[in-house]
Amino acid sequence: MTPYYELFVRLVAPYHAVLVHFPVALWTTVALIVFYRAISDGAVARAGDKILVPLLVLSIFSGIAALVSGLLIFPLEAAGASPLIRNHILAASWSLAYWTVFLVTRWINGETVWKGANRWIMLGLAALGTLLITVTGTVGGHIAGKPTTVSIVLGWFGWDVYDTFFVPDAMLWLIGAAIIGLPALGWWGSRRSHQS
Amino acid sequence: MRRILYLSLVIFVGLLAASWLTHGTGVIKNDLARNIFIPDDRTMPLQIKAAYNGHDIFFRYRWPTDKPHIYHDMLKYEGGNWVRYGASVAGPQPQGIYEDRVAMMVDDGSVPEFGRYGGYVTIGDRMRFFTGEASPKEVAAHPYLGAKKGQTEVGKHLPATRRDMNDWSSVVPEEELARLRAAGYFLDLWHWRAHRSNPVDKSDDQVIAEARYGDAGKGPFFTNWDGEKKQPRLMFDPQKTGRTALDWNDLTERRLGFGDLYYLREDQAVPFDPNLAWKDGNTIPQRVLRAGDGSRADISVVGPAEWRDGFWDVTLTRAMNTGHPLDDKAMVDKGFYSIAFAVHRGAYGSRWHYVSLPVALGLDRDAQVTAVRFDGDIPKWEQAWSDVTLFYPGQVSWPMLTGKRHAGSSFIKDGVPVRFRHNERQLAQYGIEAEFADEIWRQWMLTLLGGILLIAAFGVGLNLLLGRERASQ
Repeated sequence: MTPYYELFVRLVAPYHAVLVHFPVALWTTVALIVFYRAISDGAVARAGDKILVPLLVLSIFSGIAALVSGLLIFPLEAAGASPLIRNHILAASWSLAYWTVFLVTRWINGETVWKGANRWIMLGLAALGTLLITVTGTVGGHIAGKPTTVSIVLGWFGWDVYDTFFVPDAMLWLIGAAIIGLPALGWWGSRRSHQS
Repeated sequence: MRRILYLSLVIFVGLLAASWLTHGTGVIKNDLARNIFIPDDRTMPLQIKAAYNGHDIFFRYRWPTDKPHIYHDMLKYEGGNWVRYGASVAGPQPQGIYEDRVAMMVDDGSVPEFGRYGGYVTIGDRMRFFTGEASPKEVAAHPYLGAKKGQTEVGKHLPATRRDMNDWSSVVPEEELARLRAAGYFLDLWHWRAHRSNPVDKSDDQVIAEARYGDAGKGPFFTNWDGEKKQPRLMFDPQKTGRTALDWNDLTERRLGFGDLYYLREDQAVPFDPNLAWKDGNTIPQRVLRAGDGSRADISVVGPAEWRDGFWDVTLTRAMNTGHPLDDKAMVDKGFYSIAFAVHRGAYGSRWHYVSLPVALGLDRDAQVTAVRFDGDIPKWEQAWSDVTLFYPGQVSWPMLTGKRHAGSSFIKDGVPVRFRHNERQLAQYGIEAEFADEIWRQWMLTLLGGILLIAAFGVGLNLLLGRERASQ
């Protein structure tokens, strides 16, 4: 590591620790609003829903800033060789992608997402997103030398955060099939509904 | 359409669940061609007691293992030839002919990195039995290590003995090595072996400097092989032992125990007689035991060192000051030292051992292991055991730890002890993952990208379906 890079890292690292709090706080707030809106059609719940999109937009921007600042802390060579850092990058990237999809869904579909059983789908998706943030934060805590008991819970369910999370080839093929299949299914369902 | 929406959800959540259930599989597997064999157990316990009386110091070690392995390196007569069984191999020796061992490295502060990082500092570039190890030919051709010191493999060595730790061959000039050694820049290595030293109540006394050597003098064993004639040099003396050889089946069926003759001692051996009517299955140990002498014979067993009820119980002793300052670390009353352990069990040889992080030893001082002062010749061992967790270290070298590929290299540079950032279970996992660095990198990248694309694909499908619902309202 050159002295300049070392200096740069020493400047960036604390800011990563600061920046990550924004998406975490925003996504947690979003999850709470979704929970309340899913169980209530009251005025407060509807008011909360109205700020979901701005909150999510902010969360995505702050999430990108947190991810980029995090990627700058370690040289790519070191990050790529460290199981904890790999796990942190993976969970952070998935969190960002997931909440972006959540944003798009709420933005495009508006109030439709609260109609009928859709609200329970939104609640389930928010819960899944919260789980992703929890994993990201837990692994980040380990990297910072502040492990929490959440990693013990994850261990009960079969994942040691010190093991790099990767799936076997067969699983990758299945995921590949779903990457093609899920939009196709959506398109087919949409057309079918249109025809009927 | 609702059913399709639910089906999409089931597929998405199902794939996430399946990913969770299958994670970490399909990549890490034994690969003997690359010297990779992963033990089932990645950690093991070791218990320690220490005591001293002002003249001698004693260490008592206790560790669990299903069964003892006390046979080692045998020459079996097969179709007119003597064939060797029991050489060090990747993973467990197939016939179980590889001895159990306990080793302890000792430093008095002269090797400063040792107290913080333990045995990791002794693991350099292209070590024996690593993937990509230096070949015996390369090492033998080295002007100092090979030609002068007779080394044929890259063994443990200390960082300052190389100009560049990334190059095993960059040994500093001989004069500098001598000055380093005189300044105490070496590790004392107590090395007890269940076959090659225990039957003569001895432990090998070794030293780690620019390579791993035996101390000056004679060790507790020597090799019983005549390379020219391709036969053993010695055999059992029938006058003293009632036999000329062992029976191979007795070894493979583990019929010979501690009270039996399963080893060849120099004073019970005679020159090998090729004219005897040797039969298939006749077996002669390839190592001959002796008491040894000089600095190398400083450490003795306080016996018997035996396996009982699932545990080895071994006690070693040595003069606190052996009078061999270039080979041994002198220990003094109220002294403070760093020690680290290694245990071989289950017929695993070479680097397939378990190791400890550095442990603080205090003589009548509070430490992780406190040596108790006593009066008399033999300690009563009334103190409690000190527990140490050992772990399988995989292939992690000092150049790797101090290089760009280790995210914690800056901590090492700052002198942060390994224990501050890592525990044994974690280090075992990291050691194994390091053996599959490239494969895991590929699989992790694909998993990362696959996950993002799956989330995106799910989003596209979901929004197409919800969008139609919105339009129809």
